[in-house]
Amino acid sequence: MSSELFTLTYGALVTQLCKDYENDEDVNKQLDKMGYNIGVRLIEDFLARSNVGRCHDFRETADVIAKVAFKMYLGITPSITNWSPAGDEFSLILENNPLVDFVELPDNHSSLIYSNLLCGVLRGALEMVQMAVEAKFVQDTLKGDGVTEIRMRFIRRIEDNLPAGEE
Amino acid sequence: MSRQANRGTESKKMSSELFTLTYGALVTQLCKDYENDEDVNKQLDKMGYNIGVRLIEDFLARSNVGRCHDFLETADVIAKVAFKMYLGITPSITNWSPAGDEFSLILENNPLVDFVELPDNHSSLIYSNLLCGVLRGALEMIRKPRCTADT
Repeated sequence: MSSELFTLTYGALVTQLCKDYENDEDVNKQLDKMGYNIGVRLIEDFLARSNVGRCHDFRETADVIAKVAFKMYLGITPSITNWSPAGDEFSLILENNPLVDFVELPDNHSSLIYSNLLCGVLRGALEMVQMAVEAKFVQDTLKGDGVTEIRMRFIRRIEDNLPAGEE
Repeated sequence: MSRQANRGTESKKMSSELFTLTYGALVTQLCKDYENDEDVNKQLDKMGYNIGVRLIEDFLARSNVGRCHDFLETADVIAKVAFKMYLGITPSITNWSPAGDEFSLILENNPLVDFVELPDNHSSLIYSNLLCGVLRGALEMIRKPRCTADT
């Protein structure tokens, strides 16, 4: 499918959350939480359809996220940059972000992380493959930056095999 | 928070699963916000309407479909072009009224409801009602007869 109906539906979701919560911080948290719940389900579909084997290190994980997962579910291929010396952090650079087509942030929502659902999706999906990560936006075209940058940080491997609970 | 679509942006093709799950999150949020299914249905319709009035511009720009001469042609374009473009499915068109002013779209599968079961306490919920609003809003912008009654 083309992305426009998704883009506009996502906009309706964010708009609804802005009505429901008094401040941007709470909307950001709710988007992250929703994204997490989506991610823990989406990973199953991804593994079934992508035929990607187990990743041996975080570098391979980064590649799969950018070149397979983003391509599959958002139709874009972010580039991977800014690896930390320890190899436990990298950035995904999105030249364009389909979620923000048609969108401008009003002045009274300057703290809103509009696409924060994506960070939750990444976190939830990777948790289900035994990786605890942090994902956060560090640049955002909606806020005037030239690109959109998601910073991914590997926290630890999850040894526990129990299914992640919903948040 | 919306502005005119950026005509220079090439449309991206995606699989529907992320959309399906995001739509589910939207419906879930509305069920928390409103006390009863009827209000959720209305809100989905209204949101869909607001989406439709924007989506039609993108559709006309990208589909190169000319003006439809009658409702028959409109039905064809909705089913074979619009649904295909935005949901990746092609509903069939059936049950035309004798006057030619009503028809049905039959969706063999509806990507919005993948992974979804309606709980017993939401038996009146019209889960995919956003789509009705989208159709209504989009068609209103091109001054065609509305496909659902105004409420």
